[in-house]
Amino acid sequence: MHPTKRGFMKVAAGGLLAASVAALPFAVMAQDKPIRIGVLYDLSGPLAAAGSVPGSIGTQIAIDLVNEKGGILGKHKIEVVAADAQSKADVAINEAERLINQEKVDILLGVFSSAHAVPIAAKIDAQKRVFWITIAIASAVVKDKNLQYTFRAQVHSDQFGDASTQFIQENAKTKLGMDPKDVKVAIIYEDGPYGTGVAASNETGAKARGLNIVLKEGYSANSPDLSSLVTKLKRARPDVILHTGYNPDITLFLRQSRESGLRFKALIGHGAGYGQIDKLVEAFGKDVDHFFNVDPVAAQLLDPKTLAPGLGDLTKVMVERYKAKTGAQEVPPHTSMGFNNTWILLDKVLPLAIQKHGGWDAEAIRKAALEIDIPVGGTIQGYGVKFHPPGHQMAGQNERSSPVVMQYIGGKTFIAWPAAIKTIDPILPLPASSPYALR
Amino acid sequence: MDIYLVEAIINGILLGGVLALLALGLNLIFGVVDVVWIAYAEMVMVGMYVIYWLHAYYGWPLPLACLVAVIGVGLLGILVHLLIIQPILGSAPINQLLATGGLLFFLQSFATLLFGTDFRNIGLRMPIIEIGDIFISFSRLIAFCVALAGAVILYFFLSRTHIGTAIRAISQDREIMGLMGVDERKVYVITSAVGGSLAGLAACLLVLQYDVHPFIGLSFGPITFMICVLGGLGNMIGGFVAAFLMSQIISVGGYYFSIELSYVFAFLFFIVLMFIRPQGILAK
Repeated sequence: MHPTKRGFMKVAAGGLLAASVAALPFAVMAQDKPIRIGVLYDLSGPLAAAGSVPGSIGTQIAIDLVNEKGGILGKHKIEVVAADAQSKADVAINEAERLINQEKVDILLGVFSSAHAVPIAAKIDAQKRVFWITIAIASAVVKDKNLQYTFRAQVHSDQFGDASTQFIQENAKTKLGMDPKDVKVAIIYEDGPYGTGVAASNETGAKARGLNIVLKEGYSANSPDLSSLVTKLKRARPDVILHTGYNPDITLFLRQSRESGLRFKALIGHGAGYGQIDKLVEAFGKDVDHFFNVDPVAAQLLDPKTLAPGLGDLTKVMVERYKAKTGAQEVPPHTSMGFNNTWILLDKVLPLAIQKHGGWDAEAIRKAALEIDIPVGGTIQGYGVKFHPPGHQMAGQNERSSPVVMQYIGGKTFIAWPAAIKTIDPILPLPASSPYALR
Repeated sequence: MDIYLVEAIINGILLGGVLALLALGLNLIFGVVDVVWIAYAEMVMVGMYVIYWLHAYYGWPLPLACLVAVIGVGLLGILVHLLIIQPILGSAPINQLLATGGLLFFLQSFATLLFGTDFRNIGLRMPIIEIGDIFISFSRLIAFCVALAGAVILYFFLSRTHIGTAIRAISQDREIMGLMGVDERKVYVITSAVGGSLAGLAACLLVLQYDVHPFIGLSFGPITFMICVLGGLGNMIGGFVAAFLMSQIISVGGYYFSIELSYVFAFLFFIVLMFIRPQGILAK
């Protein structure tokens, strides 16, 4: 089958319809021309294990599902050009440039690290090309940037810090028996854009809710020692620790905290390293029981009844395929993020762009994205999709995204907040069985 | 007395032990072979993986796994010397640096290929030492003691054995030793083996407190190198002193200000001393 050739001959043989000739080559070519998507994640380096690889697998599953059905609208296959950002910002930027300018991909998709997303968004947007962000969460990626071609259905970091402080406020009286203003919180974070962004929203959220911030400190995720931070925390005696970090720093912090006798009533993590409960359990066993984590939800934890019809089954397929691909028992939230935020592009935005705006060039995708209006409950992660328009402070950000607060107990994950979809009555303060519990 | 300050100082001393041990092997190699093993921290990583697999995966007793790591990384040291260093011994220092830099990326990538990017740990739970209100990390205490013991043993090895004397002699004047009938190449190989074994020993201690992953070298490589330079490259006592100086700046600075600032102080201290004493703090 050579529809292109045949189409061309038709035009040549006809030798008329001059008016439509301009539009025709594109429409004809579009018949079997694949949609090229540059998929950029960290497949090596420290970020790979912090959730980037599970995210990339989620994205791949979404693309596989679409391609197995013949592609977008059953005829436009997705052609993936994968690249590895190697957990390095310079590599990420170079790879993004290469995908856009040499590989000539139609869409750049992915990016785990906010430190990579910030410069890439600026560069790609300036070239009027589409950057579809799946995982990077720092609000700073889009905030006050007025990006036109960058879209992010994913939750953003201001929401993370807000969720954990609201969770504390709602549970202060009933669980801790304290007024919110008496609850002492410590905010600790890795000092990249991701940790800094979440910590800033932690601070804003805590102040707005009258919580008492006793310490706020950042550190490098590669730091070989965090004992002086632990010592300072012991001196400040926080009730709740709000922590944002990657994997090596979180395990180091928890290990040094245990060895130094740091005790608290609750620890709330904010994604990344805390999103990978199986890794934490492997390292700490029962010690991490009753820790909380704020993240976009892992779709399989939601009750399908609260979602639009068919989404529960979609989640099941994602979970089955992830387990088959990796052999893992637990499916981390990053898989849902990689899958869901890719799925929104493939299942909603691209069909609309092709049908209504004539293809998948940057303008068509941009217009389609801005028209998308998915109500709450319309994606597998529960949130809806409506992008903030150009000119808005958060232009390109999904205004309907929302994280949840989860609690880990016995290696299992439960939803503790928001109350409407919770699957457990949150347990705090830490029970005496925890080595971190107050004695 | 601020009890927390005391804890910060103790933590600094213990961290110093870990860093001193790391600096020991690197310094030995530089002092004798006159080559900087930029990939030193990556060799430590190899040792950590050896211990992880033998102990956590194949169920070997930990001391045995550690012994294998020490010997294994020692052998790796010999391989590194024979395959990478020896052929380029006569070339410009920058080439040697680039070659061991290449080894660094090779080891990182090889580990990623073999083991993936997962963080692995031997799942060991160390007892907690509690004296009054002060807590001391058991794993750090062991590391500290072993570092001290390692330094003492190395000292006696270098000062009391025949081969140790030859090693020191070569480090002082490599040209003349050949003329005096000392087989340079043999001394280099032995030194590389000892340096490698020290990396293996460091691996035994790091594996008690850190997760193993292909990029663990990023956490330790730069600071180890900095300590060696600060102490005067090749000066083992200088390196030892520098390790404790740096760790105190990091620990106490981190306690009074912040961890980020403490590194600013540490690097500032480094830069200033490089101006005042470019040959290292203990240079004559």
